[in-house]
Amino acid sequence: MNDTNRILDLFNEKNSLEEKYFMPFLVCGDPSIEQFISMVKKIALYIDLLELGVPFSDPIADGPTIQEANMRAFEAGINTKVALDTIKKIRTFFTKPIVILTYYNILIQGSETIESSLDNTLRRFKESGIDGIVIADLPIEEAGLALKYCKKHDISLIFLIAPTTTDDRLEKILKEARGFIYLISILGVTGAREKVAQITKETIKRVKEKIKTRIPVFLGFGISKPEHASAVAELGADGIIIGSAIIDIIKRNLSNFNKMEQELIEFVSSIKNAIKRSN
Amino acid sequence: MKYNGIYPNKCGKFGDFGGIFAPEVLMPALCELDEAFEKYRNDESFKKEFYQILESYGGRPTPLFYAKRLSENVGCKVYLKREDLLHGGAHKLNNVIGQALLAKRMGKKKLVAETGAGQHGFATAIAGAYFGMETKVFMGKVDIARQAYNVYRMQLLGAEVIPVESGSKTLKDAINDGLRYWITNVRDTHYLMGSVVGPHPYPLLVREFQRIIGIETKKQIMELEGRLPNAIMACIGGGSNAIGIMYDFIENENVQLIGVEAAGEGLETGKHSIALGLGRRGVLHGSLMYLLQNEYGNILKSHSISAGLDYPGVGPEHCFLKELSRLRVETATDNETLESFQKLSVLEGIIPALESSHALACLEKIKGEFNKDDIVIINLSGSGSKDLNIIKQRLEFKVK
Ligand SMILES: Cc1ncc(COP(=O)(O)O)c(C=O)c1O
Repeated sequence: MNDTNRILDLFNEKNSLEEKYFMPFLVCGDPSIEQFISMVKKIALYIDLLELGVPFSDPIADGPTIQEANMRAFEAGINTKVALDTIKKIRTFFTKPIVILTYYNILIQGSETIESSLDNTLRRFKESGIDGIVIADLPIEEAGLALKYCKKHDISLIFLIAPTTTDDRLEKILKEARGFIYLISILGVTGAREKVAQITKETIKRVKEKIKTRIPVFLGFGISKPEHASAVAELGADGIIIGSAIIDIIKRNLSNFNKMEQELIEFVSSIKNAIKRSN
Repeated sequence: MKYNGIYPNKCGKFGDFGGIFAPEVLMPALCELDEAFEKYRNDESFKKEFYQILESYGGRPTPLFYAKRLSENVGCKVYLKREDLLHGGAHKLNNVIGQALLAKRMGKKKLVAETGAGQHGFATAIAGAYFGMETKVFMGKVDIARQAYNVYRMQLLGAEVIPVESGSKTLKDAINDGLRYWITNVRDTHYLMGSVVGPHPYPLLVREFQRIIGIETKKQIMELEGRLPNAIMACIGGGSNAIGIMYDFIENENVQLIGVEAAGEGLETGKHSIALGLGRRGVLHGSLMYLLQNEYGNILKSHSISAGLDYPGVGPEHCFLKELSRLRVETATDNETLESFQKLSVLEGIIPALESSHALACLEKIKGEFNKDDIVIINLSGSGSKDLNIIKQRLEFKVK
């Protein structure tokens, strides 16, 4: 079905945003296409949304962990076409919202012009079953075309907000943001961190105060432990996003897939429990 | 045609090209840089200090030299704009002095830069030392191995060279890692971009700092010949030396502007850096430009004997000028370049950078288009002393 957006459905179901949500991030096709699909199956129960990276060769917003995951996915044969097929396969068993994270250049190739390519690529992603998209190198200033075609294909265009985002840009972004706000918790690239930065608290507070609509705020970048998850949930974030810490589990267990899946399930369920407690 | 002062627009666009495709974390820093540049570009004390440093420290103005024997050899009047004589051995100094001075005025304490061959890294290290700013230079592991001499020179000047292990371990990955570092240290650090690439305002400000080349050239050729040249030729990596010498001639439509890209081992081998000639539109490092990429939008590895031209993209303004048919795009292979490199050395006693030798090689290919009295100006963007290790592998002399 193409005329639904599971993100909007999820947040519309309830009258308030009292629940806390968990969205893990995996790179599509890491460590292999089949193993990736199998992992999603195993963790599906413990997560609320799923974020999939569609790799780009030059991901400037990503740290070493995700860069290496991209390389593994490229070696496994990932590209836009394979990513679309993979998402379709996931959609045979997974009914929760799917958000993809990619870079702009991946979306603007394939047809005659940049605009027709964007139209086409977003349509194909929507047909494969995605609900939202994060474009790591597309600030609000350049987002005109993407907003137009995300609207056309009923995809939530999710914007990032950083601790350094100024108030007037914050307002511009909030005006256009759909689905949820992706709040970057640190000044830095993706990667697991030991502590939740002080900056996080201020940023959540500042953003929450500016929000006039009922859009949830998800916090990502650097969260790596159940304690972090519950801490940021208590600070007022509606959801958390964990990427590098999960991908570290994949990396540690590349030679033992059973162990990889086992550790993943344990980690993901511990996060879910941690934020449930703060619900 | 009316051109100067119009591009880029406020959003950093040259027609469809350019723009600010940057991660959110960098946006405030880019806006801050844009504001600072707008403030200082017309500030008399800033302009004065900039030019004074280039003069007393850098050696400006650089000569516009009539290459007599080369002229006789190719059959037209050839002038060389001697950026190789600038301190540091290349045009890069104009840009780094400009940006470091701007960073200093903005209150930044540290500089970070990427480098391919080490030429821009070396220039940044010079600026870091001159202004007393801590300097970090990101450089691909592959390039570090190829350019040990430049690594050493940067270290001598007190800069820290940081090896880049990601991706293809060359220039484009050094930019990625440099930008990642900047994302994490954006408050006290200025990212010193090495060419007219990257998100707005970089293509604008690098051009403005390099324009001095063309402003001088125009004055010098009028003094020497009393007329404008028939053609200006420059190599194009990111495009900074080319736009630097060409910008003030864009509205003089009788002056042909010819940019020369690196054809590497040859078009047919796929091992080249012909982004303008063969690339497709796309976004890399914050800007929309012509790019060497596969059908899915992943960036391909470029190739060239000269590390300074070994980049899969090209500055947005060049893309726009090509589209306006104002810029003519030509190429030269590694082998053609080596021949011209040797020829200039022997004919004029000047060892040119391998990058600049591409422009010389192109003149060799199209010399039939010029009459005896026609004037061709070539931007000799740098000196070849940095390239001797590479040349020596291809060209050996015997001591009898
Ligand atoms: C001497 C010289 N010329 C040209 C270039 C190419 O850069 P651009 O195209 O920005 O002038 C370089 C880059 O390192 C260089 O060192």
